[in-house]
Amino acid sequence: MNLLWAVSALLLSCWRANASTAPNIITEPSEVNNQTSAVLSCNLTETTLHIKGSHWVYNGKFIEGSKSEEATAYTTLSLYNISHKSAGKYECVFLTEPEVKQIIEVKILPHVAATKHSEHGNENDIGVMVCVSHGYPLPTDWTWFKGEEGSPPTPIINGTTDKYEIKSTPNKTTLTINDLSIENDIGDYSCSGTNELGTNSDKIHLRVRSRLAALWPFLGIVAEVIILVTIIFIYEKRRKPDDVTDGSAPLKSNSTENHKDTNVRQRNSN
Amino acid sequence: MAKLRPKAESQGEGPDGGYGWVLVGALFVSTSLVFGLMRSLGIFFVEFVQYFDESAQAISWISSTGLAAQQFFSPLGAALCNAYDTRWVVMTGGCLAALGLILASQATCLVHLYLTMGVISGLGWGLVFTPMVATVMANFTRRRTLALGLAFSSIGLSSFAFNPLFQLLVELYTWRGALLILGGLSLNIVPCGALIGPQRRSKAPAKVVSESGVSCASFLQRASSYLELPLLFERPYITYTLAISLLNVGYFVPYFHLVAHSRQVGFSEYQAAFVMSAAGATDILGRIASGWFSDLGHFRLIHLLSVWTTLAGVFIMLLPVSSLSGSYAALMVISLLYGFCSGALTSLVFAVVPMIVGVERMMGALGLLQLIESGAGLLGAPLSGLLKDITGDYTASFMVAGGFVVLGTLTMVTLPHYFSRKDPPPPKSLSPEDPDKAAELKQMHSSPSDMNDLTGEVTNNRLPEDTYS
Repeated sequence: MNLLWAVSALLLSCWRANASTAPNIITEPSEVNNQTSAVLSCNLTETTLHIKGSHWVYNGKFIEGSKSEEATAYTTLSLYNISHKSAGKYECVFLTEPEVKQIIEVKILPHVAATKHSEHGNENDIGVMVCVSHGYPLPTDWTWFKGEEGSPPTPIINGTTDKYEIKSTPNKTTLTINDLSIENDIGDYSCSGTNELGTNSDKIHLRVRSRLAALWPFLGIVAEVIILVTIIFIYEKRRKPDDVTDGSAPLKSNSTENHKDTNVRQRNSN
Repeated sequence: MAKLRPKAESQGEGPDGGYGWVLVGALFVSTSLVFGLMRSLGIFFVEFVQYFDESAQAISWISSTGLAAQQFFSPLGAALCNAYDTRWVVMTGGCLAALGLILASQATCLVHLYLTMGVISGLGWGLVFTPMVATVMANFTRRRTLALGLAFSSIGLSSFAFNPLFQLLVELYTWRGALLILGGLSLNIVPCGALIGPQRRSKAPAKVVSESGVSCASFLQRASSYLELPLLFERPYITYTLAISLLNVGYFVPYFHLVAHSRQVGFSEYQAAFVMSAAGATDILGRIASGWFSDLGHFRLIHLLSVWTTLAGVFIMLLPVSSLSGSYAALMVISLLYGFCSGALTSLVFAVVPMIVGVERMMGALGLLQLIESGAGLLGAPLSGLLKDITGDYTASFMVAGGFVVLGTLTMVTLPHYFSRKDPPPPKSLSPEDPDKAAELKQMHSSPSDMNDLTGEVTNNRLPEDTYS
């Protein structure tokens, strides 16, 4: 028993010794959750290493202006107006041999935005609606809802019918509606993304056009073209009698037949 | 056509004006429906990316295929016009272009779009553009460049108007409906083709050597004469085509990269876009102004073209330099000047061709020129992109692009008779068996500067044989 105690005490003291000689960064705060501003600080303790300076890194990229040449073990970074553009992983890096760094995560609610707030599709065709998310952390769950007037939105579940297909990745979700119908599918749809802090959503309005809607302007234009071409040809036919009486230089022929004739005439005359 | 004939017979008068301006209007409309439409297809690409769930690069191949098809089929269009009636070729081209867009509205996968909007519409556009340009050029002598400049200004104006229009169509009718309506709009090329009127000249009888039945050899011989393949063995034409191809490598680079370059230097999205729009506006101005000035006749067209291309190349090279200082005004000024010069040279590029090959072979020459310069154009954008990837910014791309343009000018200098004050006589072509035809060819070949000398001389000294010397 005493031996066991001695061995464990030895192991513990060894471990403690190792721990005490390794540099340790104390971060304050250890994590930022859903705040509009914060001051991140790193305190390098328990090290005998020479500190040449420090800087901050955001999502793997060096932050301009955060470099410090001072040999202090303490560095801070102030963040204002934290939004989806500035949330992410911040890392304080102390320039020692070797480098010592620690990550502070700045987390916010997911920023969910529809790529287009008004979508349209053709009847019997497919309709595609897309929502994207930025920020940190990215949503782990996406849900689509179909909103009805005066009743709570009903969730759209993937895989139950052929009608709806949902494809989701952490930063993008796509809802594909097959075989659009004018009666049933017009309305508001909302996508909502959920991460560990909460949920956010955005709305898209879907319009369904009849397949024949574009046909009428198209037929109108085709009619206009046919009328124009007819007018041009008729106008030309009416002037044709003038052409025939106008001498016989080969370049004036109205048809290849005349052309051949005039050439033949010329050859004979030569 | 009846109005033109009496004018052509009277000595010293070119077939300028009158019905020619109607054809300029037709070229204006058809060019806007071909190139203006092509430039505004970007509106649809956003829809396609979402609907077909494909990458932007895969979608951009649609317009690349369309442009490549238009240029590839240009010699075919020219050959068909030499063999048959121009108006029917153009009308068929209009129908094909419309058909491609109409079929595209029913597409269910990306490959359908490549085949319809790319190949079929591209084929239609190829059958339309070169024949119409050649027809307009054949109808003008003194005002040729002005006519071309006015017609080509449609590209800038229409892409300006089509962008919001297409956006509206997509909003109202979804992209399928909008493509269907675009198909209908493209059908308006058909009346433009109908305006050309019945064929004025056909090379078919003149080229038929033996009256024997269709044999493979005689067909090939006729095909090669319709395509004007012998032109590929003539030094002046090859030199000019090479010069224009070099020009094409660098010419488009600012259109692709100016916005990205402006943003990289530090200007905002709107500032960068505005630079592009301003360059586009001066482009339109340059086309018309250069057309008007060239036709005054003070200088040879080839000299004017060299001046504009040199200036354009220099300004392209100055673009990254001007933004080095970070001054928005400097970038804007250089871009405006570049826009003006690039528009100015566009009017002249086609107008010089009949000076080199003669009006008779102009149709085929234009077709071959389009085909060969298209290869160079395909080279330019990826090359500049590659340079940007290697060096990190656009300075090298612009420098190289400007260098190619200036190299094109230097190649042009090696054209025969470059340094003479007057245009050389056109090369020996068909033997005219008719003094009237020779006289008409004579004044169709003459440039504006020659016209001032010709009045009064034609009845006396110049015999048909003199054109061969």
